Amino acid sequence: MKAIFNREFNSYFTSMLGYVFLTIFLLLTGVMFYLVNIGYMTASMTGFFASVNRFALFFLPLLTMRLFSEDRKLKTDQLLITSPVSTWEIVLGKFFAAFGVLMTGVVITLIYPCVIAAHGSLPLAETINCYIGFILLCSVILAIGAFMSSLTESQIIAAAATYGALIFTVLLGSVSSYVSNETLVNILLWLSPIQRFSDFTLGIMNFEPIIYYLSLTGLFLFFTTMVFENRRLR
Amino acid sequence: MITISNLTKKYGDKYALDHISFDVKKGEILGFLGPNGAGKSTTMNIITGYTAYTDGTVNVDGYDIVENPVEVKKRIGYLPEIPPLYLDMLVWDYLDFVYDLKKIKTDNRKEHIQNVIDTVKIDDVKKRKIGNLSKGYRQRVGLAGALIGNPPVLILDEPTVGLDPKQIIEMRSVIKELGKEKTIILSSHILSEISAVCNRVIIINKGKFVAEDTPSNLSAMIGTSHKMSVSVSGDREKAEEILNSFDGISNVVCVSSSAGTYNFEFDARLDEDDKKRLFFAFAEAMMPIMAQKEIETSLEDIFLELTKTREKEEGNDESNI
Repeated sequence: MKAIFNREFNSYFTSMLGYVFLTIFLLLTGVMFYLVNIGYMTASMTGFFASVNRFALFFLPLLTMRLFSEDRKLKTDQLLITSPVSTWEIVLGKFFAAFGVLMTGVVITLIYPCVIAAHGSLPLAETINCYIGFILLCSVILAIGAFMSSLTESQIIAAAATYGALIFTVLLGSVSSYVSNETLVNILLWLSPIQRFSDFTLGIMNFEPIIYYLSLTGLFLFFTTMVFENRRLR
Repeated sequence: MITISNLTKKYGDKYALDHISFDVKKGEILGFLGPNGAGKSTTMNIITGYTAYTDGTVNVDGYDIVENPVEVKKRIGYLPEIPPLYLDMLVWDYLDFVYDLKKIKTDNRKEHIQNVIDTVKIDDVKKRKIGNLSKGYRQRVGLAGALIGNPPVLILDEPTVGLDPKQIIEMRSVIKELGKEKTIILSSHILSEISAVCNRVIIINKGKFVAEDTPSNLSAMIGTSHKMSVSVSGDREKAEEILNSFDGISNVVCVSSSAGTYNFEFDARLDEDDKKRLFFAFAEAMMPIMAQKEIETSLEDIFLELTKTREKEEGNDESNI
């Protein structure tokens, strides 16, 4: 797994993709920080994360679109599959490489709470919670992207399918406001990962959404391994 | 070392492989021969665990590919038809990655990689990006990847396709050298390549087993009908008449002519005396023989012959039903 992680992680930075991603990510978070925290003179980062979340849907698929589709196109999957590594090692190695690039960006954004802490009082528990929630939400998006990428040889189709799936989950939240049946509303909201983020903005450590995000990530990574295994059988 | 029995692969109702069985002994170079689409790559993909199969067993060094895939994969170095190269990596970094990927533990990692690089002669490009290399070099980098970890079995799928003649000769000599200590399965649709390198040949066509033997035995198998070519100066019809008057000669065809000299090819079963009589027959007719030679059956002919008869048999079977 380490070998695959290293290769994938490095390949983000031998191609332009890693730099492009980090540039967009830091630009967006920087602008959001300026508009939300500095513009409104608030120390709470919940507004910041609520905005960044929306944008995450659009730039995270950049990281995952080539993850598996490129291997399939260049036939390098033949090397991976015929090497003495398990499917899980391949999938996790690649997923964590994308996750690692994201985390590089996230670590840099820690400057913002530091700036707040230096000039005001930072609501620490709330901020930590927001970070945990953001990272977990992003891992769900990356897992969905990885799954879509494993389905196709084309990076464009992989990215488009990921956008489709993500927009669908966002719409679930919007649709729910037009539904009168309360059970149905709850189900719709429960199915939408981005809606669950509000649980993290309260500053209380709640395990339910954490487990929800982790299991969703695991589920899509599991689907990805299934795609791999299934393709061998055909 | 490798035992394949009743290997079957179905895509829907179509058989890609139909009960193929063979085994490869330790230290043998086995040639795997067939036209495009015969099932060579499919067989190799199955042995290396890339593709699953419908029925049968694959056993490498005592390990079953389904029950012990990791043990099997550890023992095999595989060069697929399209070398699985990451074009954005440097040659050395790629081999370094393959070293980790195969979970190899040697005392000296650098020395091992350098040895492999020297074996396939890519030392001059080891610091270059794979994407910038020529086809021949890429093929060799692919072979280097297969050699990492010094696996006892090598499976090479059409290793010389797309190389120029010089590179083909180099690649063959590398393979021959490797064959001294490794078990190798080599596929090709170029027959001269197989006869130059392999100890034994298996011919498959349309997923079915056709023949298996040494290259020289295969020649002997259908070597009974020899072809001859004779160039005669003079009248064409007269020459054909003389040739047809011989018992051992059949299927006379005039293949070319120039300035009154006709070149005939025919199936001939002639002993020494017959050949003398042929000479004098033309001499009496005042038609000098300008050239005369026996055409040896090449592996190409054997191959065409075997796959043709096989198809005929099948055709008959179907009509009987």
